[in-house]
This record gives sequence, C-alpha cells and structure tokens, in this order.
Amino acid sequence: MSEKRIVLRNCGIIDPERITTYLDRNGFKALEKAFSELTCEQVIEEIKASGLRGRGGAGFPCGLKWDLSRNAQGDEKYVICNADEGEVGTFKDRYILEGDPFTLVEAMAIAGYAIGAKRGYIYLRTEYHYLLGLLKNAINQAKEKGFLEHFDIDTREGAGAYICGEESALMDSIEGKRGEVRYRPPFPPSRGLWGKPTIINNVETLMNIPQIIVNGAHWFSKLGTEQSKGTKVFSVSGDVKSPGVYELVLGSQLKELVEDLALAKNVKMVQVGGATGRIIPHEMMDTPLTFETILGAGAITVFDESRDVIDIVCRTMEFLAEECCGKCIPGRQGTEAMVEILKRFSRGEGRQKDIRVLEELSSAMMLSSLCGLGQAAPNPVIDSLQHFRSDYDNRIRESEGG
Amino acid sequence: MDKIIVTINGTKVSGSEGMTILDAARENGIDIPTLCYRLELSPIGACRICVVEVESSRTLVGSCHTPITQGMVIHTHSPKVIETRKAIVELLLASHPDSCLVCDKANLCELRMIAADLEVGLPRFRLQKNYYPIEDVSPYIVRDLSKCVLCRRCVRACSEIAEQNVFGIAYRGFDSKVVVDFDQPIDQNVCQDCNVCIPFCPTGALSKPGRIGKEKEGKPLIITG
Repeated sequence: MSEKRIVLRNCGIIDPERITTYLDRNGFKALEKAFSELTCEQVIEEIKASGLRGRGGAGFPCGLKWDLSRNAQGDEKYVICNADEGEVGTFKDRYILEGDPFTLVEAMAIAGYAIGAKRGYIYLRTEYHYLLGLLKNAINQAKEKGFLEHFDIDTREGAGAYICGEESALMDSIEGKRGEVRYRPPFPPSRGLWGKPTIINNVETLMNIPQIIVNGAHWFSKLGTEQSKGTKVFSVSGDVKSPGVYELVLGSQLKELVEDLALAKNVKMVQVGGATGRIIPHEMMDTPLTFETILGAGAITVFDESRDVIDIVCRTMEFLAEECCGKCIPGRQGTEAMVEILKRFSRGEGRQKDIRVLEELSSAMMLSSLCGLGQAAPNPVIDSLQHFRSDYDNRIRESEGG
Repeated sequence: MDKIIVTINGTKVSGSEGMTILDAARENGIDIPTLCYRLELSPIGACRICVVEVESSRTLVGSCHTPITQGMVIHTHSPKVIETRKAIVELLLASHPDSCLVCDKANLCELRMIAADLEVGLPRFRLQKNYYPIEDVSPYIVRDLSKCVLCRRCVRACSEIAEQNVFGIAYRGFDSKVVVDFDQPIDQNVCQDCNVCIPFCPTGALSKPGRIGKEKEGKPLIITG
C-alpha cells in the first residue's frame, strides 16, 4: 500500500508564504464554488454525504456537527480550528500548517459560510508559536485577495496545557479563562464559545473540506471503508527507521504503515492514539486503521522488544496526571492513584491485589470522569493488562520472591 | 408546555423542560448523593458523586447537570452506579487528612456522611495528602485547605451570591488549589466579613476564627527538671 495524498496534496509543493502558488493549484476554487453554486444547506449536505468524520480523535460526523450548529439559535456563531495538537506523538498538524496554511483558511471560510458564522479562530498551541507568523500571513494574503470579505479569522495561542486540546477547555482558554473542561450537554454546536453555537474542527478535518466541495461527496466516499471514509494522516514515531508523517487511505493495516512504510523491526507493541491510546501487541498488527477499530488522532508510537511495558504505561500515566485539569475527582485523584500503583510496579513493589485495584479504578474512571482525558486514561493500563499480563505477573513474582 | 416522561428505577415519572435528572429524582423522593452540587449555585459537575446510569449512554452521566429528555431510562442505584460512587469517595478519602477526631466539622461533615451512607471503609489507594498551612490571618475566615475537597462551592458562592470573586483555582491536576490572588493567604484586604462562603463548605476547610489555634485556657503545663 502506498500513500495517497489528499490532505497533504500541497505540502512541499506550494510556497506556504505565497498565495499565488496556492492559487496555481486551484486554491480557493472550492470557496468560489460554494459561494456561486451552492447554498449553505447544500454545502452541509455535501459534507454529510461524503461521510467525513472528525480527525481529532473522536470521529464525530463532520456534516452533522455543522448541521447542528447551522440549526442552533444564536445571534452570532463561531468556527474554531483546533490546532492545539497536544496529543503525545502527533505532529501531523504541524506538518500541514507548515506546508499549506491556505487550504485551512479556505476551509474555515467555507465552514463559516455553511453554518452562518462571521468569525473564526485558529487555536494554536504555544509550542507552535513559530508558525503564528505564517498563519497570519496566509490570512492576510487571503484577505487582500478578497476571499475573506464575509468571514474574519483570528488566531489565539495556548499556554502549554494538554487539556486545552479538549474542545470545551479550548473554548474556556479562548474566552480568557483557565482551561478546564465543561460538562456536556450542552454541546458546542448549540452552546459553545461565549455561549454561542460553535463548531470546533481539527486542522486535518478542515483540510479535507475544499477537496470534497471541488470533487464532490461521491469522490470522497469511494475512499476508505463503510464507516471510515477518506484518508488519514499518521504521525509515526518511536522505534522505526523512517519516522514521519504518512497519509494513507482509511482501512489500511497497521502493519503496512509501521513495517512497510516506517520500516520498524522487532515490534513488541504499538500505541495508537497517543497517551490515552490503545496498545496493540505485535500479534495484532494486521488490525485495520479505521474509526471502528483504532485510530485516535493518528499518533502511532512504536516500541520494539527492548522496551518495558510497565515503564511505558507508568510514564504515560504520570503525563496524564500532570496534565489533567483537576476539576473532577476521578480525573484528578484517579490518575494520581494510578501513578502511585504503577510506580510501585515499576520499582518492583507491586502485589497481585494491586491488579484488581487497577481494574476497579479503571472502570470507575472510564464511567464517571468529566472529560475524555479521565475516561480514556485507563486505556493503556487495561490494554497492557490484557495483552502483557505476564509482564505484570513476572514483575510481581520478582518482587514477592525478592 | 409538554411534559417529559422518563423512567427512573423502573417507574415512569413526568417532568418539565429544563429539569435535570437530579431534580426529577428528588421530586419523586429518590435520593441521589451530591457533593459539589447546591441548589443555590450553578452546577459544575466536578465531584461526579451524583452520577447515574442512563440507558444507551456510553458512560454514566452527572445527574446534577444533565437535563431530562423524552423517554430517558435512568437507574440511580444500579450496582455499576454504586460501585463507581464508592470508588470516587474512596479516592477523595485517600488524600483527606485523618483529623476527623479533632475536626470542628465532626459529624456534620458531608464527606463523612456520604462515605458512611455508601459504606466506604479505609481506602485501598495510597494517595499523598496535600498538607497546607492553616490560613488564619484574616479576622473573618480560617482556611484549612488540607481538608479541601475542591468542590468549589466557596468559589461559586463568593462569585454568584456575594458577587466578590475572591477565590480562584490555581495549579493543575492533583496540585489544584482554591487560591486568593496569586496564592496568598486570605486576609481582610481581599475578604470582608460577609460570611457567605463558610456555610457552603462541606468539610472543615472553611470556618470562622476563634477556635483553631486558640491558646488553651488554664495554667500552662510546664515540666521542669
């Protein structure tokens, strides 16, 4: 399986500082088409028919999200592009922003037209500060060319919090508050930024929009599987010979990406989806990459035989405990309790009964946490207990024997 | 306005638009434990103790902030719900100081009441306790944040009822803390004696001055050699 570039079609080809190079590649043709040939409803219908789902991790149908906020009551509406790419092991949005900021600007203008928003924000993580100038330049050039007469795009920078990639914390952050998650419902399409109907889309999701408008929903929906249409951009890192950004049609096998393209050897396991992602052991490398199976935001971290599962899971949990906002009890206290137990395992002081505690704590966190961080934090623990139980048992035997 | 019919624990009950699951349950005599929720304050869904099971929902939902919808099937005391609530209280107790014996809140403490109701015993988790020095410089309020459960009732009472916004949240995750200004001890310059927040504290974290740290009456016991 080779790569198929839809999202990355302009990356490395156009000059990200000059809009003319983008226009030469049919830039802003989608926006022109939307304005001249399609009603707002028809744009949304097209996105719905394409089957495009959110690329930020949750996989929510994009057209439905747009439809909900189009139909929501509000004197003002907003479009937010989530460029907070904070998930451990993801760097695809950075590559996209570096190479092709114009498609993003065009997509946001289309989104604004579709839902009836006059204003959009790009929320950029502070670590990508060096891209701010490039983004502003792209917005200004689009403005000068007259593409943003009905829609204004502004940028907002994060301050280094992982949780601000979570949509509700992100909105709090834009509002100038401490970035903390909100309970839902209400969901952002009905009540989002400053209480107004808002759509929040990941960079990669938006990058698909102009292509869908130009080529039609049918063209897009031919790619991928039944539930997962189009391509996905993956960030591959870890124990591989060729780490980097790869774009594959959804439904491709994990093996093709990790072994054939990124040239990994002696794979022990792969974590798909970052810190809260699933752990896939080597035996399951033929798993297809789809929303139905595993995907997340497309972070692929490869670990070879030299790595210790418990150390990896423990380190991941330390990260999550550090980055949790602290609002809800399962998130705040639960991650901390898990770190305590996993650290003991790591030091060789684990006991058999700790496994039961880990399992019970995992279910409580998954069932009751306020946001995705707490709900998904136990994933690596649960998966490693399922696939690498012997590593835990061996460690317990060592500690109980010694 | 159309009535909304929901099923709570097998019984059909009716409610109206805008009611939460907790409202509907309480109206029908079903008790759901709460900690961060107070009728007078806007809900925040932070403590998760009021979670209930809603059929077809992937996770449990917070009953204090989730509105009822037509045909919703709710279980407020299923085994899954009870186990989860117990684990949450256990997590709280694990980092709570064991000073109940001398705490002024004694058996008026809501955390103790919830723990007793749910029959939560000694926690299985070994969390560190966050010890903070007692803030007793203000003549109006004493804060013992080691006992704080971060329900934010004081934060909301101060902003929504007293309209003062004295409190805020600082730090992150397990280090989160209710602070004043840039984490300075609360004093009379920022906080007057409105006394709004103190009764909202579920534990002994907030109290009126006068008892803690007071010198003992009577003759001091001094042992000489």
